[in-house]
Amino acid sequence: MSAGEDAFERAFQQALDDLREGEEKPIESYLRLVPEEDRPQLSQMLADVFLARGPGESSSGGTESEGYKRALAIVEEVLGSRGTSGILPGTLKAMRNARGIEPDAVVAELAADFEVEGEEGRQALARNYHRLETGALLGSKLSRRLLNSLAAVFEADAGDVLAAARPAKEGPSLRSVPAMGRSGGDRPPPSRSEAERLPDPEVELVERLFHGGPDA
Amino acid sequence: MSKFDPIEERAIEMLDDLRLEAVRAETVVHDDKRFEFVLWTLCLRGVPVIERVCRRRGEARGLGAEEIELATEDAAARMLLRLSRPEPQPQIHALAAEVAAACVDRAWPQQPKPPRLSARSPRVRLIKGLDEAIEIGQVRPNDWETS
Repeated sequence: MSAGEDAFERAFQQALDDLREGEEKPIESYLRLVPEEDRPQLSQMLADVFLARGPGESSSGGTESEGYKRALAIVEEVLGSRGTSGILPGTLKAMRNARGIEPDAVVAELAADFEVEGEEGRQALARNYHRLETGALLGSKLSRRLLNSLAAVFEADAGDVLAAARPAKEGPSLRSVPAMGRSGGDRPPPSRSEAERLPDPEVELVERLFHGGPDA
Repeated sequence: MSKFDPIEERAIEMLDDLRLEAVRAETVVHDDKRFEFVLWTLCLRGVPVIERVCRRRGEARGLGAEEIELATEDAAARMLLRLSRPEPQPQIHALAAEVAAACVDRAWPQQPKPPRLSARSPRVRLIKGLDEAIEIGQVRPNDWETS
């Protein structure tokens, strides 16, 4: 990065930081921090950011552009799909599409993260990830380590992902029951034929990640 | 989106950014019925900022139109993620600008790499009397075939 670009970055970041603290200064004071040739662009960007405040929209166009429409469509879609996993399904899908990540790539990264190597485990991951993205799971049953891993895959803040999974109050009440790994109660030890049908440990792990609750 | 008293909706729309953020922080914790509308109102204010920051910054960074629009979508989704947090957040336009800048600045797969220029010019030395030495056959010029 050149010295000019560096100064530009610093000035823009300084303006954002000041704004966040509620201590923004006049635009001119930020413009002084960058070379003269960069001032028109910085002033335009700061004006965009500073002008958008209070009720109503800023007057400087842009609201008819394709980018604006697509961003607003994302917001509508995500809020419209809010349910038992909060807005997490909608945001995961939107970020995945925006970054050109295939579902298989997400599953592969989760598999690597949790060291799931077998075919059955991977299929369980794919199945559960699909169910998560389509809003069929309970946010309150998702494990923290799964959410952390998803945050890493999407380069998002883990706290954001955790918060987004909070179920909406008015969402449909689904019951999330792990398909595998339920307690056998007082049953005697399984016979040889039953033992052969015991769930794959990797599948059990995956089920715990998606259905076992925050500490699973 | 859930509907409630239109007068209350109008009152929310009229709030300034700081007050709207305060209502968000209050309603998000209890999943108050107003939360979704507050979120929507905040996004209506944040999306124009996202659009403009992505467009201007994206153009300055050499991104194409499609990439800029993808960054805009990405930023819209990430703004929603941030607004789900129970902790107080910065004013919406600052938040939107921050998220948008990060989405433009991420590594893009097909982004052309900047040309790698030589860090310094080659070192050359002038040797006095070389022309004369070549003339009298004391030294010979480089021959790429034999040297």
